Amino acid sequence: MASLSELVEEARLSARALLDYGDGLFNPTVRLGVTGLSRAGKTVFITALVHGLTRGGRFPVFESLATGRIARARLAPQPDDDIPRFAYEEHLRTLIEERRWPNSTVDISELRLVIDYQRHNGAERTLTLDIVDYPGEWLLDLPLLNKTYEQWSAESLALSRQGPRAELAAPFQAHLATLDPTAPENEQSTLTAAKLFTDYLRACRDDRFAMSLLPPGRFLMPGNLAGSPALTFAPLDLPADASAPDNSLWAMMVRRYEAYKDVVVRPFFRDHFSRLDRQIVLVDALSALNAGPEALHDLEAALAGILDCFRIGRSTILSTLFRPRVDRILFAATKADHLHHLSHDRLEDVLRRTVGKAAARSELAGAAVDVVALAAVRATKEALVQRGRDRLPSILGTPARGEVANGESFDGETEVATFPGDLPTDLDGLFEGSAFRGLSTDAADKADFRFLRFRPPLLERNGTEEPALPHIRLDRALQFLIGDRLQ
Amino acid sequence: MTERSTRRPATFRLDDPHVTVMEPDDDAGRLARGAIRITPEADPLSMPVVIEPPLLPVRSGFRWGTLFWSALGGLVLMGLGLGVTHLVEDLFARSEGLGYLGVTFAALAALALLVIIAREAMSLMRLATIEKLHARALAVLASDDRTESRAIVQDLLKLAHRNPQLARARTALQGHADDIIDGADMIKLAERELMSPLDIEARRLVSVAAQRVSIVTAISPRALIDVLFVAAAALRLVRQLARLYGGRPGTLGMIRLMRHTIGHLAITGGMAASDSMIQQVLGHGIAAKLSQRLGEGVLNGLLTARLGLAAIDVTRPLPFTALPRPALADLAKDLLRKKDEEP
Repeated sequence: MASLSELVEEARLSARALLDYGDGLFNPTVRLGVTGLSRAGKTVFITALVHGLTRGGRFPVFESLATGRIARARLAPQPDDDIPRFAYEEHLRTLIEERRWPNSTVDISELRLVIDYQRHNGAERTLTLDIVDYPGEWLLDLPLLNKTYEQWSAESLALSRQGPRAELAAPFQAHLATLDPTAPENEQSTLTAAKLFTDYLRACRDDRFAMSLLPPGRFLMPGNLAGSPALTFAPLDLPADASAPDNSLWAMMVRRYEAYKDVVVRPFFRDHFSRLDRQIVLVDALSALNAGPEALHDLEAALAGILDCFRIGRSTILSTLFRPRVDRILFAATKADHLHHLSHDRLEDVLRRTVGKAAARSELAGAAVDVVALAAVRATKEALVQRGRDRLPSILGTPARGEVANGESFDGETEVATFPGDLPTDLDGLFEGSAFRGLSTDAADKADFRFLRFRPPLLERNGTEEPALPHIRLDRALQFLIGDRLQ
Repeated sequence: MTERSTRRPATFRLDDPHVTVMEPDDDAGRLARGAIRITPEADPLSMPVVIEPPLLPVRSGFRWGTLFWSALGGLVLMGLGLGVTHLVEDLFARSEGLGYLGVTFAALAALALLVIIAREAMSLMRLATIEKLHARALAVLASDDRTESRAIVQDLLKLAHRNPQLARARTALQGHADDIIDGADMIKLAERELMSPLDIEARRLVSVAAQRVSIVTAISPRALIDVLFVAAAALRLVRQLARLYGGRPGTLGMIRLMRHTIGHLAITGGMAASDSMIQQVLGHGIAAKLSQRLGEGVLNGLLTARLGLAAIDVTRPLPFTALPRPALADLAKDLLRKKDEEP
């Protein structure tokens, strides 16, 4: 039964790929997958990318734009009629005028960008770039596709008993102890269990813990499915080798878990991830460093699980026809502007280590892989702070309202210089048990790293034109992702 | 861990009384006890630019040389015409068929000559346009005249029309055509938009030519071959640069360009000597210690590079203001580095 549904799914994907291929013959299109967990900066990245291309930002490394071969880039009506448009103008206004980061994404949206360029030989061509934005939480669901309810249940419970999670999961665990999987189904206790489980997941997301591995994602960002049975289930303490009795609580949970996969996860994957050409994986390693080693481990595990789901490897004619593959994948450590540029190499090393397995596998499959530390919108400037004999390479910026440092809370107007701490050179040490102190275990003044959250930069308008957004290495990312399609 | 314990995260408010914010180029005195000094690091994107002195010597007065060559050319043409007429008459006297053949050849030759002259004239006019643009741009940089700057940009766009690399720059510049921008700024904008890709390419051309010359000199068996090769490479380089910047010189155009380039080299040679002579001598000295031929190679390469830089100045339609002028030092670095990589 399972294999039949998988076959049907494969056939659907192949048919779609074939259709896309025919389309692409007349109208070359790149589907850029902007992948990242929540708060990794997907929305800001897309906004900055679109703004940079349409307005012509300062992109010296992005060859086709820097040498002037891109005549212009414009927004075009998107291909899918049932998906909201990415609110580019609104996000841009939020960034530039209100100097605020866009709110976290609650629903999927899409944008199409058409680039008119001239090839090296003088021919005029057009490239279409499709970009999708979605809540990062939903990404956590992809690994569930390959797991049964029993597997997921066991993993979730094991995870909830470890480290700082144990305390957060205590109310859920207490309720879980009262549940008997083989008892008849009971809607009320299931509702309570789902609610407590959601509360626990939500608590893990707090800045102090910054946990990443929190499936199912729709529990955190339900969209229009809130309250439906597909979203009302929770892990259970199950006996090792037994099967679910009919009409038991267990059987109900299994049914709802499968419904969740069918209704929520599979369509999302089919529509948006199965047919990507290029992929950028945005990773917010700094929040994890802020919180502590557990958060870093969690991030590693979450990314490994997600990247397993993608089809990465060298494109061949057959693969393009029936099973499109991602042939270029870029791992980007976002928010690099929270560090002095002297530390960017170390940040890249931390990221390379965090995504190590996934990157190695992609490379083996023939895809081009790169790692970069970038900031899609650069919120800070750099400065040297002299204190006594110390010379601290620091950054200048305006911390967001409510950020705390040295025991004082900022009002969102004061400018500060901050030295976030030296990133370690010894990476093996970083991933061991209690390698460094973060907010999850220690008080704020004991932590080894402190990355403040800054407001977007104050930009001066030059005439009526919108100011260019400052960035760090966004041009390098673009060059890697689509530069070869604009030769 | 020990290192990290000494450099803990720290945050300083800029309005704290203990904190002084310095300008990037302020002289830092001693730091008072307990005080904290913050020096913002310079942003390389906003550096001031300087206006260069005029490139070419201003020519004035009646040009006797031109008159001489024109008159002589006329005489030679008349002589040729006379000779051909006689020849055709003789041919007719001998046989009518041969006569007609002769007329046909003469007509074809005359047609080809006309086309060649037209082409040369076109190319000379194009070169003249470029030189004039250069002079006008210099004038606008000084006078800040808005209407004149618009006219210059229009002419530039016409000139850049054939270059695919400039597609975006052209669109961008046309977009700015109606904006209110001061004259000098418009010229700088045009330079940044239109010239920067060409400058990079020009630099590459010069450094490739210099490398080639230095290698050939280092390995060539006879001095005569060097001389011929250096001359050929110089001609080629000047022609390539002229093409790049929009002039397509013919034979006469090339002669004129070479004259200007060498003239410019003579003028700027003195100025540039101070900054790069030491390097040249040093580079030559070290290379010559290793091997005499290698030393000669480096020296010839540097000379070619210098000629190329002069040619850039002459062929570029805009003066260097917003963008940095390529310096011999950059090219010399390329040259020596390349040397290291060569076996």
